[in-house]
Amino acid sequence: MTTHQLYKDVLLDHYRHPRNKGNLDGARVVGRGSNPRCGDEIEVGLFSHGNMLDRVQFRGRGCSICIAAASMMSEALSGRSKTEAAQLSVVMHRWFGNGNGAKVEPTPPALEALSAVREYPARRKCVMLCWEALSEALFALDQTLRPL
Amino acid sequence: MGSALKIKRPLTHNIYKKDFPLLHDTHPQLHYLDNAATTHKPQSVIDAIVDAYSQTYGPIHRGLYPLAEAATAAYEEARETLAHFIGAASSKELIFTRSATEAINLVAQGWARPRLREGDCIWVTRMEHHSNFLPWQRICSQKGADLKIVELKEDGMLDWESAEGLFDRPTRLIVLTQVSNVLGVENPVRAICAKAQQAGIPVLVDGAQAVGHQPVNVRELDCDFFTFSGHKMYGPTGIGALYGKIERLEEMEPLLLGGGIVDQVDDRHFTLGSIPERFEAGSPNLAGAIGFAAAANYLLEIGLAQVHTQVSQLSRAALDALSQCPDIRLLPGRNTQRHTIISFIVDGIHPHDLAQIAGEAGVAIRAGHHCCQPLMNTLGLNGTARLSLGLYNDAADVDALLLALDQARRLIG
Repeated sequence: MTTHQLYKDVLLDHYRHPRNKGNLDGARVVGRGSNPRCGDEIEVGLFSHGNMLDRVQFRGRGCSICIAAASMMSEALSGRSKTEAAQLSVVMHRWFGNGNGAKVEPTPPALEALSAVREYPARRKCVMLCWEALSEALFALDQTLRPL
Repeated sequence: MGSALKIKRPLTHNIYKKDFPLLHDTHPQLHYLDNAATTHKPQSVIDAIVDAYSQTYGPIHRGLYPLAEAATAAYEEARETLAHFIGAASSKELIFTRSATEAINLVAQGWARPRLREGDCIWVTRMEHHSNFLPWQRICSQKGADLKIVELKEDGMLDWESAEGLFDRPTRLIVLTQVSNVLGVENPVRAICAKAQQAGIPVLVDGAQAVGHQPVNVRELDCDFFTFSGHKMYGPTGIGALYGKIERLEEMEPLLLGGGIVDQVDDRHFTLGSIPERFEAGSPNLAGAIGFAAAANYLLEIGLAQVHTQVSQLSRAALDALSQCPDIRLLPGRNTQRHTIISFIVDGIHPHDLAQIAGEAGVAIRAGHHCCQPLMNTLGLNGTARLSLGLYNDAADVDALLLALDQARRLIG
């Protein structure tokens, strides 16, 4: 099995069995990302105390990549600090944000499988929807964490 | 399900595919079912473009030496060919544009803008492509006019009966597509034009999805304006055309001002040159026009009736096969007649996922809103998957899509 296929399987697993997907009641803040071009929509809720994100949860509708990316993000961020989350968000924007020339950054292993999507520029927005929602939520939580 | 589901085979061997080098030679494994987005080019079109640059290239309407005259003659011959192709009374009635989109914008800004008054109406339809919606939305907003919309019936056809006031006095223009790029249905253009004619209301028809796929005759339709593009009828990108009845073109102002459109210019004024040159400011797209005409000639040689029959047969077979799948919803339903375009959604599979999985299986289909957001909003959908057939498609292409559907169900569904 190629690495590429392995990554795809990881994405599919997250799509079929999304982690941390569900109710956002009780979240400290909720951010929203949407793509009017396909109608996909993700809301990310941060359950935090102090600087810590105890749990990152999401809900919404979208294609397999959109849902898988949100699930992976929630796993990668739960238990991290909001500053770490903001830093990771910067990395993700560099990784997926700017077309084919986007700089490839070392990524946390939990997000590595997303590299399978890099070869489909049309789907990058699908990956970034949850990260846009996260940026909005982090900014609502702490005004020094400006969205990109 | 599905893998056993093969379409009834109306077309097992396509004799035209060999004319298209990209599909026949470069990507023989590709099943290209995205012809409503753009079509591939036959060798004769590619050759004509190469010849235009290697043999007849020069300035048009600007030079007095033999090569310039040859270039001008070739450009005007292309105009003649295309005017004849759509049944225009004279080649003067055919204006080259960059695209069908530009042709529509030319009418919006050049014809509608100077004569639209507050309280006037422009009617469009629910199924218009953004290119035939936004120019009218903007002009109405700029001039305080009403943009009215002919709505859809259950069967996906337009509800002309309910379009109250359509042919009444405040209506200054009726705008409609001949064939919907999402629903695939054909509108009763001739009947609408006849009624509009009686009421003295001009009609613009967007023919981008009709021309090249079926015989089209603008004089039989009796429309005032008709727009179409080269790249959707096996011709090059970057060129389209506007047909207008000569009396309408006489009322129209150019969209662009510049070289080649004037008789006289002084410090304060200019006088416009003749039609159609006055609408074609800037150095014309010679190779584009020649390639466009070559596409028309290619289709004329086969015969548009033959093109239409062949593609319709394949389309019917594809529709039958898709309608056998209980998890597929056709838009509109199975009983509505359509020609080359079939939109559908599969339960539990996002159209983008489907298009990507199909793409990896070598099947090119389109997914999304197809530049028809007002239609999607009305249907309550974010998007559909769409297959659209062309001259070079055959049963194997549709079978490949059915297999890809199965794959998507296994992977995602």
